[in-house]
Amino acid sequence: MAIADPSNVTMNLPRRDARDKLLGRTRYTVDRMLPRMLHAAILRSEVASARILKIDITRARQMPGVRAIALSEDAPGMHGIGIADHPLFASGVIRFHGEQIAAVAADTYEQAQAAARAIEVELEPLPIVLTMADALAPGARLVHPDWKNYEVLFEGGARGGNVAWEATVVRGDTEAAFARDDVVVVESCFRVGRQNHVSLEPRAVVASYEDGRYHIETSTQVPWTVRNMTAKLLGVLASQVHVTVPPVGGGFGQKFDCTLEPYAAILARKSGQPVRLVYSRQEEMLTCLCRENAEIKIRSAVTKSGDIAGREAVVLMDCGAYGGEQIFLTTMTAHTLGGNYKLGSVKLASRAVYTNTPPNGAFRACNGVYNTFALERHTDEICQAMGMDPLEFRRRNVLGDGDLGATGQVFEGDVLGPMLDRMEKLREASHSKEPLAGGRLYGRATVVGTWFIFVGPSTATINLNADGSATLITAGVELGQGTMVQALPQIVAHELGIHPNDVIVRNADTDAAGFDLGVGGGRTTVSVGAASLAAAADVRNKILHTASELLQTQPERLVLRNGRVEIAGIEGSGMTIAKAVQHAHRLTGPVVGSGSFTNPGVPAMPGCAAGHFIDAIDIPVFNVHDCEVAVDPDTGHVEILSYKVVQDVGRALNPRAIHGQIQGGVTQGLGYALHEEHTIGEDGCIRQDSLETYRVPLALDTVPVEIDLYEGAPSIGPLGAKGAGEVPILNPPAAVACAIANATGCRVQQLPLTPPRVLGLLLGREPAVELPHIKIVSQLAAGLPPAIDLTPFRADRF
Amino acid sequence: MSLRLVVNGEDRVSRAEPLTPLVDVLRDEFHLTGAKVACREGFCGACTVHIDGQPVVSCLVPLGMVEGREVRTVESLAAAGELSPLQRIMEEHDVVQCGMCFPGILMVLTSFFREHPRAERGEIKVALVGNICRCTGYERLVDAAVALAKRS
Repeated sequence: MAIADPSNVTMNLPRRDARDKLLGRTRYTVDRMLPRMLHAAILRSEVASARILKIDITRARQMPGVRAIALSEDAPGMHGIGIADHPLFASGVIRFHGEQIAAVAADTYEQAQAAARAIEVELEPLPIVLTMADALAPGARLVHPDWKNYEVLFEGGARGGNVAWEATVVRGDTEAAFARDDVVVVESCFRVGRQNHVSLEPRAVVASYEDGRYHIETSTQVPWTVRNMTAKLLGVLASQVHVTVPPVGGGFGQKFDCTLEPYAAILARKSGQPVRLVYSRQEEMLTCLCRENAEIKIRSAVTKSGDIAGREAVVLMDCGAYGGEQIFLTTMTAHTLGGNYKLGSVKLASRAVYTNTPPNGAFRACNGVYNTFALERHTDEICQAMGMDPLEFRRRNVLGDGDLGATGQVFEGDVLGPMLDRMEKLREASHSKEPLAGGRLYGRATVVGTWFIFVGPSTATINLNADGSATLITAGVELGQGTMVQALPQIVAHELGIHPNDVIVRNADTDAAGFDLGVGGGRTTVSVGAASLAAAADVRNKILHTASELLQTQPERLVLRNGRVEIAGIEGSGMTIAKAVQHAHRLTGPVVGSGSFTNPGVPAMPGCAAGHFIDAIDIPVFNVHDCEVAVDPDTGHVEILSYKVVQDVGRALNPRAIHGQIQGGVTQGLGYALHEEHTIGEDGCIRQDSLETYRVPLALDTVPVEIDLYEGAPSIGPLGAKGAGEVPILNPPAAVACAIANATGCRVQQLPLTPPRVLGLLLGREPAVELPHIKIVSQLAAGLPPAIDLTPFRADRF
Repeated sequence: MSLRLVVNGEDRVSRAEPLTPLVDVLRDEFHLTGAKVACREGFCGACTVHIDGQPVVSCLVPLGMVEGREVRTVESLAAAGELSPLQRIMEEHDVVQCGMCFPGILMVLTSFFREHPRAERGEIKVALVGNICRCTGYERLVDAAVALAKRS
């Protein structure tokens, strides 16, 4: 592997931001200080469900140091994804423990906190809708009695009562498949808890109000979402909001939404001073936009020869008090639970359910992680029921070239099959770790996964400078994933024949860069990368034309390499790019190029998908993971003995950086598989409010992941690349759960697999997950009326 | 009131209350923002500094406890602008991601290597057990630390 060989786009280019991060000099949002800056604190509800009778700020306003107080009347708008159901401040009603009631700005944080505590709030308690089973029970209290009056931002989802959104898939005739007399029907149930991102930099913002505009400096993944959402909530024009993003100290999806920015913006306008708002770790634990808890019922009709004739499933996703990201994420069930395998027919329903609990959000490979856990465990339960080898069953059924996905999209290329072969080689290359299990129970599993790249619109501008360097302007954000400091400069440099170090990458600034969907869903290398490549091609064209005149050579005969415009095949000929740019300044003006990208759109089968934000996936990404575990039969403790990954990367632009993403993503997935979980008490409050009670992986919990990057799968990404940072977390819970099931012979239905839970399984004391509130009924077999839980949800039923 | 301490070799005077967490004095008063506040409960290790050469989580140390003592922060590791060998090897191995945890990890490993320059992989992992890193999954930064131990 060449180190920084600019003639080859593939290189282990080191990060340019590493040095300052190691020196302690990097200034994240939490490190920003401005003259006259105030500090903000939020007053939060300490009950989960109540009517607000009175809010009195008289006493708080007179407290020392207080400069401004913001209440619901300062933010008249409602926000959301799909449905605008979420006010900035609780307005009339409290819907979750921790909900924002007021925000205070004062000279010090302590003064702001004291004043927030001095706000008098009178509440009348209301019953709590705690669980999804409660929410869906007949006659359940509605978390949003006014749901019919909310603004619909995206058409197509079925809604009703406590079901915030439903997306459905129907392809083929599952009823007929389940009624066949040559199939075996296997049904499985799964339940998972919430996972907290625990970004080390909490959500943080510094806002100012200058010349009639808001300037928001924030730790976000989505500068344009923050711009547009803040404007919507405050009832101002989006052009009045300016967002810039310093280096971000971890996101993992938590910062894929606008959250605390509007509070600081309002307080900055009211006080006329800059306002800093940084959530405490406790606030981050109690109101984090977690990976949602979910419940999955799935069943399959499998022929004796091992074909999946029919599959039906229902997924309930707890969106908490407001719909948020979960409304969008109902879409992903089709592509995750409905993924991996060839299905003769399929019927899926994916529902976001309102409860009086803190709202959830996006977390790395959202929805996919638990659906892959469920799908792979279900696959193993099928194999067990049929007496089939799990690896052979997967080989036989994984999606290949020309196969149909759940929504009828046609997959291109054989990818998962050859990746299973590569995993076999990886397994053969190293000895089994079974001897390390000693007296413990040993298990192993190989699992597959399907994820996607969240493509969508991005844009880039490049200024080619008179010193031969290039300045790349995008709304991309560096969260730690490395795209902004590695893949993007590599792509631009390759196109312009310069060194990546000569590509300056501007930090996200909505006044400088055009619209972008944000950093998440593995999309930065692909979407921002494709826009950057297009901008670089534009610049390339322009500089070749300028040089063509000076060199009296057709542009087609010129190449850009080593910082020069050369006549093809004649090394050292022509002139430096710098010189060509200087000429351009005199002839035509400075050299600037732009590029845009959006997803081309892959067709689904008409009529298959309803209520989906994405009917078919533009760029699928596949995983094969393998895990060996040892389970202590006396304590239920699980040790990971080995972990192997074959990952579809399209083309690896920076293999070393991808290895870093895989090691990190697998570790986060192992945390979710084994010990990370938020649970919710009877009072609707999250029980784990610190890093003492919420256990993330530490250095002694990890193993070195053995990695094989699979290149060459089809991708519309720039230079054939796919995003590589999100997908590593997709499969670890599936791999670990299947390996533990194999080790113990127990039916693993829940995550995380903590020692008490595993011991409970071993002792037969862990209650089976049955999910009676989710019905999958074959009406033909049971002679029942249509299975209501699988028909599209009809709003008029309520 | 005022209180004297030595920070990164310089005599400093703080006007903060004696119960103020040291990390707040370092960050807010002296503008040494290398030490990060990520939990304020001593669990994450991101605010680790040295007090008289020993690694300590500065969120749990009141200013009054460090009167007259010597405090070193991550900003002091690159003496005269040269990266320390530990910083250099982390840069060479390209192990940094978001970077928030590294100031604490560097302070812990710097003092650990002073006492155990030829430490084994397992010992290095034990030394890091008080530092949460959410990005890297530890192994690659441990690889870098092992490489450094092998050089000495």
